[in-house]
Amino acid sequence: MKSSKPIIEAKNISKTFGATKALSKVSFDFYRGEIFSIVGANGAGKSTFIKIICGYYADYEGEIYIDGQLVRFESPRDAYEAGIQVVHQNIEQGIVQNMSVAENLALEMIVSPEAKCIYDKKSILKRAEEIAKKMNLEHLDMEQNIQDIPQSQKQMIIIARALATKPKLLILDEPTSSISDREASILFERLYRLRDEGVSILFVSHYLSEVKKISNRVGVIRDGKFGGILHQPLEVKEIVRAMVGDIGSEVRRSIKDENEKSLLLELKNLTVEGSNHPINIKIYSGEIVGLLGLIGAGKTELAETLFGIRKPTGGEIAIKGTSVTFENISQAIRYGIHMVPENRTVNAIIPEESIKNNITLPFLNFFSKLGVLSKKNEIKAAKRMIDSMGIKCEGYSAYIESLSGGNQQKVIVARWLLMKHNIIILDEPFQGVDIKSRRDISIYLQENTKNSAVLMISSDIDELLDVTDRILIMNKGRILGEEKTSQVDRDKLLALITQE
Amino acid sequence: MEKYITFAIKYGFLIVMAGSFLGFGLLEPSFWSWTNMFSILLGVTIVGILALGVTFTLIVDGFDLSIGATAAICVMISSYVMVVLDLNYIYAILISILLGITIGLINGLLIVKAKIPDLLATLGMMFLIQGLQLIPSAGMSIGTGMILPDGTEAEGEFAKEFLFLGQGRLFNMIPIPVIVFALLAIITYFVLQYTKWGRILYAIGGNKKAVKLAGVNVERYKIAAYVISGTISSIAGILLAAIIGRGDVTSGGGLLLDAVAAALIGYAVLGVKKPNALGSVVGVIFIGMLLNGLTMLSLPYYTQDFIKGLVLVCALIFTFGLSKSEI
Repeated sequence: MKSSKPIIEAKNISKTFGATKALSKVSFDFYRGEIFSIVGANGAGKSTFIKIICGYYADYEGEIYIDGQLVRFESPRDAYEAGIQVVHQNIEQGIVQNMSVAENLALEMIVSPEAKCIYDKKSILKRAEEIAKKMNLEHLDMEQNIQDIPQSQKQMIIIARALATKPKLLILDEPTSSISDREASILFERLYRLRDEGVSILFVSHYLSEVKKISNRVGVIRDGKFGGILHQPLEVKEIVRAMVGDIGSEVRRSIKDENEKSLLLELKNLTVEGSNHPINIKIYSGEIVGLLGLIGAGKTELAETLFGIRKPTGGEIAIKGTSVTFENISQAIRYGIHMVPENRTVNAIIPEESIKNNITLPFLNFFSKLGVLSKKNEIKAAKRMIDSMGIKCEGYSAYIESLSGGNQQKVIVARWLLMKHNIIILDEPFQGVDIKSRRDISIYLQENTKNSAVLMISSDIDELLDVTDRILIMNKGRILGEEKTSQVDRDKLLALITQE
Repeated sequence: MEKYITFAIKYGFLIVMAGSFLGFGLLEPSFWSWTNMFSILLGVTIVGILALGVTFTLIVDGFDLSIGATAAICVMISSYVMVVLDLNYIYAILISILLGITIGLINGLLIVKAKIPDLLATLGMMFLIQGLQLIPSAGMSIGTGMILPDGTEAEGEFAKEFLFLGQGRLFNMIPIPVIVFALLAIITYFVLQYTKWGRILYAIGGNKKAVKLAGVNVERYKIAAYVISGTISSIAGILLAAIIGRGDVTSGGGLLLDAVAAALIGYAVLGVKKPNALGSVVGVIFIGMLLNGLTMLSLPYYTQDFIKGLVLVCALIFTFGLSKSEI
């Protein structure tokens, strides 16, 4: 189905920000009717490349050709008019709050310069239904306010809208990071159909298994440079090697002898809000425990109960054998329970603050006397975390926004590893985090979890298999089982988490 | 090019300020006299103190519209306590400050507990206080020897010590209100820059949810910001009463907007793009200096508001317009 002439060619694209060279002579071309994935470690320059193609940066070097014609985009509107549609990673950027589902789907009808002056509800609804149908979204309530529907459906609406314009090139930046597997497979089906209709698709994802599954070709960006193009048959290992070079053999921890382990956290018949199932979990020192379950399995509710955000409705939480209760987060922290929440942008990052200030935030009492901060101690602590976690930055005083996504996540994890703790809960810590940073965080945890423990929550089996010692399976508020990671049966895990 | 813009954003405002300081002095040498310097400072003291107060609420991503009204009601209440109730001036000061704290606390509770948006809650309070200040004196200004509604003459008077707070000078040169302003400015600067409270206030303005998840009682900090704002406003009110020496019902007009303008101009100082103590002080002094200088060069008084607006718009361009915000 691949035609001989590329529909879009990007040649020798370079871009510098101040003194840093973000991209250096990167060339890719996109053909009609193919799915092309771009992969790269964090900070490799993926998003810079995509932004250039979408017209966000006017001051790049190099050439972009569309159908053989040299073009130069001055603004996102130029790219849009040339038939390039983008679905950004950040869902909130793609939807209009306060509008209904139908209005969001048929947004183009409302905002385009040719739109009728008089608001025609009927034809908007009709158009919205047409668009929804193509993405199997007929079940949506068109009148509903978009704020009231789940993230995953918002994402599907944005994608549906982008597809409706019949773009030449459709760019999807991490489209599956907040939708379920089932929704992802609907999305992929739709992408295959579009591909067969002759649309060129540029796909960006951290989930390399997805990349492997759906791509015709994979382009690699490595440290801002062209890192090669991989053809089918694709192998995840090969993709990783092209992205980060040889990563060496895996670190495997020697798990402590059963007798040496001491009980750190015990949940006895704990019930959380919205569920009647008692939860019993034991976590020992030195362990990295995974909590696996789909979206809605009750993982986040459990984590929030452990961190004092919600109150348990029954049962007991015991730390080192002593039963404890806490009213709020600061008490949970005092008991040595730390938590890295999911979705760092919303729940963790303080924008326009330095890396240092972001790291030390929960422990300012420790760094101050009578309220006055000791910046010297703070700087020392921040430097220690930056070094030990390998945070790539210009220094502790750099703004956190100047970091790539993976390094921002490292800062947030560092925030909670900074002080001594009994247990650190990581809720979806690898969402939108590239493979290199995942490894850095994983290795840090594996090397440094000795007298404490880690509870890592995820809906991705592979993420947990990489890091944990054992995995608890959660489904509809219940703990269904437990597997040792070393002798795990993937199919059994899958069956348990999806079991109705 | 990029370098020049960065430089302009950072130092542009201070350079313009230094330039106008030189310019006015060269054109009109008496501008540089100590007397004139302190007259400028005294002129901006009240607005400057209020700007410090509003800085706290701006930092937590809030806004306190009731600062001017709070200052005005404290002018009235301190006059009322001394003139009508004939009580010691200490009571006038204490009751005013207590009133400021109460107003701030109510603002904070309305915003945090009743979940009314900042602007609306403090707008409501502003109206309420503006009305309330008229009630004790039946809408009249309060001065020594005023005739009370029952026909008798008020017995109390403004205490000398109280008036000294507004009209006295240290070493026969530095006005007392300017000293109070300087002290408050230094304290504010220190708290915001060097203490954990300041750090947390700024963090709340950046991402409230993240601060909450770091175990901080965000609601308490937000309420505290409004209490500080109310308290500082009451101090401004006390000084204003002492400066004018009577309980003038019209004394609050214009204070709010001038203070907010100064705090917003402060965003541009050193290109910090955030509410900050130094910026608010520099902002208010800049406006005072500009108006003083232009008046010396016989600029008519009715152009003053226009000049203030012009400075504010230019400062906002410095702050927001010149820096490229990324999508």
